[in-house]
Amino acid sequence: MNVVLFFLLLSGAVAMLVSGNGDGVLLALQSGADSAIQTAVTMSGAYLLWMGLLNVAQEAGLIRSLSRLLSPVLKLLFPNAGSAKDAIALNLAANMLGMGNAATPYGLEAMRLLNEKNPRPGVATNEMCVLLCVNASCLELFPTTLVGLRASFGSARPAAIVLPTLLSSLLSTVVAVVLCLVLTRPCRSRS
Amino acid sequence: MPVAILIILLLLYAVVRRVDFFSAFTDGAKRAIPLLLRVLPTLALFSAAMSLFRASGMEAIISRLLSPVLSRLGIDAPLVPLILVRPFSGSAAVAALTDVFHAYGPDSKIGLTASVLLGSSETVFYALALYFGSVGIKKTRFTVPVALLAMLTSVVTGVLFSSLFLG
Repeated sequence: MNVVLFFLLLSGAVAMLVSGNGDGVLLALQSGADSAIQTAVTMSGAYLLWMGLLNVAQEAGLIRSLSRLLSPVLKLLFPNAGSAKDAIALNLAANMLGMGNAATPYGLEAMRLLNEKNPRPGVATNEMCVLLCVNASCLELFPTTLVGLRASFGSARPAAIVLPTLLSSLLSTVVAVVLCLVLTRPCRSRS
Repeated sequence: MPVAILIILLLLYAVVRRVDFFSAFTDGAKRAIPLLLRVLPTLALFSAAMSLFRASGMEAIISRLLSPVLSRLGIDAPLVPLILVRPFSGSAAVAALTDVFHAYGPDSKIGLTASVLLGSSETVFYALALYFGSVGIKKTRFTVPVALLAMLTSVVTGVLFSSLFLG
């Protein structure tokens, strides 16, 4: 993160200075910061709208229904989840609907419950690793706020990205799931 | 089309489940305000840096240097900042995406690919630090390599599917 930013700023400033346009540095930085304000204003409508709609979906029980649908798959991926089962299901369901903010508290709750039964504190259990891997690959059924963001930037077809996003995240989730199943199999047969 | 169907389904679902639509919506939208305030500082820093990088001509130079490698992978140079910051920070990734939207438009090939890349990947390192940190896990075993492989898959397939479906 810092390396990327440092590189952008330093190389930009040096290039400006070398080309004899040292005053342009402040101008460019300032216009960038100004555009950040515009961007925040532009995207605030999309965020307000979609986070409102998502909360309606959540209160209607959409995450709960989806997490029930997921439970057969989760039994396979998290054989020793125990009491953390529900929190894991809710975490993954919220992630699939593009509700990262709703997903985080469930994820932390799942980690806490998993850690209570951790035989080796400080070392991640299979369940913890799999939860993180599946979170990292994040199957995305409908990228809600992203579609809203595209619309607020004047896209003529904001939802065009839904299918490629779904397929791409599906493949990366398959990769993560297969790798996790292979890597946790020895422990599975022992237990 | 899909959005219209989604909204209709959501409304019907909310009615069936007897959700208080007004307060549920406003409660959710309320949470967007602190989120926007949290994004703004990152956005300002990142937009300023990108603006300088572009105005100085460095972006053009770097894209020329990287283009033989990137074009083989099908990645356009303006997508590189987005891919680099994506695993670390959601706000920075959104900043990189909006930067692409400003420069090329959301419906350009680059804008579409950037959207797919953002949608199909996750803030891997941030999630690792947050989740494992919350319960004091030091040894993460196979998590990092698997998570990074998943991320790599989503970048490669994201670029591929964007050109396949949207090109």
